[in-house]
Amino acid sequence: MIKMRSADVAVIGGGPAGMAAAAAAKEAGAGSVILIERDEELGGVLNQCIHDGFGTKVFKEALTGPEYAAIYADKVRDAEVETRLEATVLELTEDRVLTVLSEEGMETIEAGAVVLAMGCRERPRGAIGIPGSRPAGVYTAGAVQNYMNLRNLAVGRRVVILGSGDIGLIMARRLTLEGAEVACVAEILPYPSGLARNVVQCLEDFNIPLFLNTTVAEIHGAKRVEGVTLASVSGMDVIPGTERFVPCDTLMLSVGLIPENELSRQANVSIDRVTAGPVVDDAFQTSNPGVFACGNVLQVHDIVDYATMEAEIAGRSAAAYVADGTLPEAEIQIKVGDGLRYVLPSHVSGLDAVNFTMRVTKPDQNRAIVFSSGGKVLRRLKQQALSPASMARVRLGKARFSDTREILVEVGD
Amino acid sequence: MSETTTIVCVVCPVSCAVQVEFEGNGIIRTDHNQCKLALEYVNDELFDPRRTLTTSLAVDGGAKPLVSVKTDHGIPKHRVMEAMQSLSGLHVQAPVHIGDVIVPNLIGTGADLVATRNVAAA
Repeated sequence: MIKMRSADVAVIGGGPAGMAAAAAAKEAGAGSVILIERDEELGGVLNQCIHDGFGTKVFKEALTGPEYAAIYADKVRDAEVETRLEATVLELTEDRVLTVLSEEGMETIEAGAVVLAMGCRERPRGAIGIPGSRPAGVYTAGAVQNYMNLRNLAVGRRVVILGSGDIGLIMARRLTLEGAEVACVAEILPYPSGLARNVVQCLEDFNIPLFLNTTVAEIHGAKRVEGVTLASVSGMDVIPGTERFVPCDTLMLSVGLIPENELSRQANVSIDRVTAGPVVDDAFQTSNPGVFACGNVLQVHDIVDYATMEAEIAGRSAAAYVADGTLPEAEIQIKVGDGLRYVLPSHVSGLDAVNFTMRVTKPDQNRAIVFSSGGKVLRRLKQQALSPASMARVRLGKARFSDTREILVEVGD
Repeated sequence: MSETTTIVCVVCPVSCAVQVEFEGNGIIRTDHNQCKLALEYVNDELFDPRRTLTTSLAVDGGAKPLVSVKTDHGIPKHRVMEAMQSLSGLHVQAPVHIGDVIVPNLIGTGADLVATRNVAAA
């Protein structure tokens, strides 16, 4: 027999976003908050991110991932959130009924509000279609990070890295420190996809070459990787004659993250085509009222502090939804203009200041992010450097939303 | 005669490209840094480059096989690999708590190596 129970707020995922949302919901007055995590401990990816740089916005100091996670795990405990570990949400219905599987068996939870905080998965080899054989020795960067930092397992001795995402850069340094040789990093784009900080401290510090406009054209090896063919590209096409063989026993992929929104889709939440995460308003409420989203399941963050901040709003919103049965309408539409891939949230209530987050389409210098309504500029924020690798974040005060139905955001002068 | 250069601050993911004007062994002016954590980093990077070393060590008798550790402040950049060598083969006895000093004064740098994770005894 399946156990049935209820909770005011159910938070799915115990990473940085889920922990912050759960604690904030409880502190905002929700009677019962349940936090569901499939791993054996809270913290999510932070547990394997043993490098530092977390917390400079929230705590004004650079912490390591495990230290940052421990602070929020303590907050969750102190707020008396009910934490369920090694528990997987198998199903989420449109009217917020969760089916949860754990060692205690199957149970259903009827939730007054749900916060989606499931995070991301890494894009695997199959998603980018590299030709060649299928030997052992091809890993995603996060898998290597998990093996090395949590399980004490080495993956190889000579590594080629495809993609210059942040985890790949961080692991280039980590592999080097632990005695492996990182032959090079190949990036298909004309610019690094990771942060400038990581190019400097993870590659330049260790003289690891970064080849831009370069990809892996073929993987060689029968049982184990024996090498890869690198080739220069024009756009996404290999330039004939530029192929060269690089011997290695490991190919590590750092080619992007995919928000894990299977449960969101089950709950009939609208998904944005660009972010691959839910469409939300400034309360982080999705298209399904009572369902909220935050953290990397919503948009891929480069700074955990911002995921924490948005999760705290999502958690408070969930508590308010349970208390009031509804939230204010968000009728002001946000339009994505030139130079931007997306802007989040996509619609706002105008009742509070909003921290908009966005990513630009290409690197640029000395431009501005411009908010306007009906041709009238509401805010122009100068940006010394813009990069698709760095999420931009711009605050718009409450007063800017008066007498407006639609706001255009664009990169301008 | 002052000089101007740009240094990417590596303290956090914001990666501020800090413009710095300096003369001799002193900074005259900085620009484009979002917070003051960049000031110490930029000063060190110009005159005495340092890095916080983060790594992991094997744990004996613990609920987990590894404990993550960091230097409690930066060590000279050119001594990072030497510091890693000195930790080779080192085991830590569980339990370990965040902030526990694992190696005081790591290779004479003045920085302590401290735990960044709790590992309970098995």
